[in-house]
Order: sequence, then structure tokens, then C-alpha cells
Amino acid sequence: MAERCAVIGVGQTKHASCRADVSIAGLVREAVDRALESAHTTMTEIDAIVIGKAPDMLEGVMMPELYLVDALAAAGKPVFRVHTAGSVGGATAIVACQHVTSGVHRRVLTIGFEKQSDGNAMWALSVPLPFGMPVHAGAGGYFSPIIRSYIKRSGAPGHIGCMVAVKDRTNACKNPYAHLHEPDWTLEKAMESPMLWDPVRMIETCPSSDGAIALVLANESIADAHDGPKAWVHATAMRSEPTQFAGRNQVSPKASEDCAADLWRKAGITSPIEEIDAVEMYVPFAWFEPMWLESLGFAPKDQGWRYVEDGVTEMSGRLPVNCSGGVLSTNPIGASGMLRFGEAAMQVMRTAGEHQVDGVRKAFGHAYGGGSQFFAMWVVGADKP
Amino acid sequence: MSGATSDYTIAPDGSFTAPLELFYPYKRTVGPTLSRFLTGLRDQRVEGTRGKDGRVHVPPAEFDPVTGEPMTEWAEVGSQGSVVSWSWQPSPVDGNVLQHPFAWALIRLDGADTALLHGVDAGRSDAMTTGMRVRARWAEERTGSITDIACFEPVTSTAVVARGGS
Repeated sequence: MAERCAVIGVGQTKHASCRADVSIAGLVREAVDRALESAHTTMTEIDAIVIGKAPDMLEGVMMPELYLVDALAAAGKPVFRVHTAGSVGGATAIVACQHVTSGVHRRVLTIGFEKQSDGNAMWALSVPLPFGMPVHAGAGGYFSPIIRSYIKRSGAPGHIGCMVAVKDRTNACKNPYAHLHEPDWTLEKAMESPMLWDPVRMIETCPSSDGAIALVLANESIADAHDGPKAWVHATAMRSEPTQFAGRNQVSPKASEDCAADLWRKAGITSPIEEIDAVEMYVPFAWFEPMWLESLGFAPKDQGWRYVEDGVTEMSGRLPVNCSGGVLSTNPIGASGMLRFGEAAMQVMRTAGEHQVDGVRKAFGHAYGGGSQFFAMWVVGADKP
Repeated sequence: MSGATSDYTIAPDGSFTAPLELFYPYKRTVGPTLSRFLTGLRDQRVEGTRGKDGRVHVPPAEFDPVTGEPMTEWAEVGSQGSVVSWSWQPSPVDGNVLQHPFAWALIRLDGADTALLHGVDAGRSDAMTTGMRVRARWAEERTGSITDIACFEPVTSTAVVARGGS
């Protein structure tokens, strides 16, 4: 990296199934205003804007970054749009980071958003294209066979998904911005939740949310001068692979393993579970927590579910995962990845409020998208890299 | 949603063809600014927002294109205006403002500084000219939608109405 980069501002909206009080522009602006305020800066001091969201078909507004120029006070400024499906929030933050580390810009605003109530994400992601493999009934229908494969391979007991779901829904109650605030879940009650896509129960499924998040990224001299909390970017990594090819491991895709290996190498981390203090992982279906724990190198193969069962990923555990409530509690798709990146930064900045973990020095943010094929990750830390 | 490859055909050259008809519903939460504009249309009132530079935007901009500040100052404009640019639609499709040939036009209403996209019921393309005067034809049943203006129609020289606006 030619330049160091730090997160100096994080802002997000209150997430809800329908933010009927705002337009897309108003939703985005709500997050942007909060991010600028926490960065002690203004629109006029922003050099460039990097914006991402999931496919435009979700709201039916094509190239919304053009319409959003007014709301972003972006007239005459470089605006860069990122498209990488569900991982887009993470990919967008990484592209924004590169705008700084390359030395091209000093202070960059980056945004992820989705207003899912304007459309129907489940069906937008299930268009039956001729001569293609049909993706029936949305993402749950796509991912449930992969989860069944993980359960068969690892020998995980059936209640692990519900344990993850209860943890994340309980954590979300400590996050005032989370979409779902459901304090009364127990494992017993969760096990009675309706089965949607065997083995995925309703509680093990993410909601559909309206929401946005914005980050202000700055170079070293601006971050040094910033008199508020900051999180230094230690490393970023992105990898992609096709949806289908012979011999593909869909439980732990090679792109995921390669992306994590690259990230840990760049961040100088040899034992992720020893060196990472908080994790914000993209878990839209509960079973992906143990699956990603293994794929990312936090747990040995087929042992991820034991970490869940032993409480390792609880807020009070050795490796707290998704203290914000995660995607299982809030899912504006285009924002979800950046929410993971931003919540990881908030843990380092000690601005996470009630869901703050004590003593976080390094945190991990993660996003994935498509058919488990696009990956974006970063490590942020309290110390300069 | 039906299966993907159930009704394909094979062309003489051996290539496969299958239909893909995409129907997909959307709705909009328009926010406070466009809500006021659309509610005004229900009452046959056209309003725009005034930017820091004094320009009046119709339809209203939610944020000032120059400063990025939320637009809070309103100005009522006329329901007549001038065609800034136009394009003839000889074969209207479902959902178009008119079901017989018409002109899509950018219309700058009297008192506004920006143009609004709508249809002009001009009958024939040679009745359209850039700069021509048009007036709103209001829908009989108005619901708070851009289609509360059913379309625009040419203002004949004998029927010029005093300019509206602020």
C-alpha cells in the first residue's frame, strides 16, 4: 500500500422492512449525514464517492448512482459504482479503500444501500432464464442443498442453525439500528419455527430490509489529525469464481479459501482465532456461520459447528461473531456487506454501544454474494498496520 | 414462474429458442418532497422546489443539485409550458400515457427552470415543434400520481391563457 487508510466515520440508517418515510435518496442521505458527522467532516471535503448496491432490478431504478448525485452533493466529483451481487457492500468498501491507498484521493465517502420494499428481492433473484438451471424460490432454495451437504459432511446436529439464529437475534436487540428486535427467542422455540427450505427454518433466514450505510475513509495524514475514533485498514482481499463448474466445492468454495488466505497473509495473521477479537461475517442463513468459520480458517474442517455449540461465537465467547445481529437480523442486500465492514470498524473504534466487545484490537469484516462465488474481506485494527 | 425450457423451439439451422417474459412488480416510497408534489397534482396544483441559486425544479429535486442541501423552499408554477424537446411515439405500448400515437416531450412549465417528461396529444407528428405551447389535461379521477396529468395538449393561438407561475 502506497498510503495507509483508516475508517474515520461510520453512519447507518435505522433498518426496517419498509422505510416508508423516505425515498431512496433520503435513505442514503440519512446514512451519509451520520457518517460525515462521526468523521467531523462535510460533503465539500469529500474528494470522491464510491457507491454500491445489489442488482438494479431489485428496485427497478437503473444506474441509481446518477439519480443520487444530488443527494450526495457529488456534482463535479468522481463517482464510482461497484456491482458484485450480495458481496457488493464489502467490494465497494475495498474499492473506496483503494482510492485512498493508491494516493489518488485523500478523503473518500463510500455507501451501500438497498430499498428492498420497492421490489421483491426473492423473485428478482429467481428469474427463470431459458436453458439455465432454475433457481426456484429465491436464495433459500439455492442454498439449502449446500447446507444439507455441509450437515452430511460434518455430522453437525440439527439444532446448530437455530443456535446461531437465536444468538444473532438476541445480539440484534443490543443494536438500535437493527431491523429485527426479537428478544424472546429460545432454542426450544426456534426449533419449532416453520421449515421453509429443509433444513432452513424461518428463524434461520435473513429478513428483507430497507437500509443504508456510509463510511468515510481517509489517508494517514487526515486520519492522524482526526480527533475521533478511527480504525486502520490492515488488509483487504477479493476473490470470485463461476457459479457452476465440475468438481466445485460449494460448501467451502476455493475463492473463499483463497480470499481468506490472501487476507491473513497481507494482514500478517497466522492464527485468525488467536489474533482476531471480533468478527462480522455474512450469514444470511444461520448454517453459514459454522460453514464460513471453517472456510475462513477460524475452525478446522467439520469442526465449525462445535464452536457454535460450545458458545465460542457468543458475544462473551472467545471469537464473538455478529454482535450487531448480523445479516440474520438486518438485510438490505446492497448494504449488508458494508454493514459487516462498518460494524467491524465500529468494534475497533469502540463506538458499537451496547454490542461493543471489550478490548477489540483487530476485527474482521466479511461479505459474500451470488451462488457463494464472490468474496470480499478486510481486517481493521486499532494500531497502524 | 414456469420451468425454463419446457416450451422451446428448434429453428431450421438447429438453434434453440425459448421465450423469456419478465413481469415484475415495483412500488415506490417517494419521500416527503415528491409526496408534496404528487399530492398537489391531485388538487390540480403544480409545485416545484427552489434551489439556492434561485432555479425552480419541476418535478421537484429532493436535494439541491448545486449544494446538496435538502430543498425546503417551494414555488407554484403554471400548468402550461413550452416544449423543450420531443420524440414521436408512433406505436404506444401498455402503460404509456396515451394509447394512440403521441409525442414524448420535455416540457418546461411557466415559472419553472427545468423540464418535466410527459406525453403530448398532438394528433400528428407534424403538429409538434420545439418551443410550442402546451397545457396540462387533467385526469378526471386524480389519486396523487404523475398520471393525474393525463397528458399535455397543444395550446392553440386563439386560446392562449395568461401565464401562470410564481
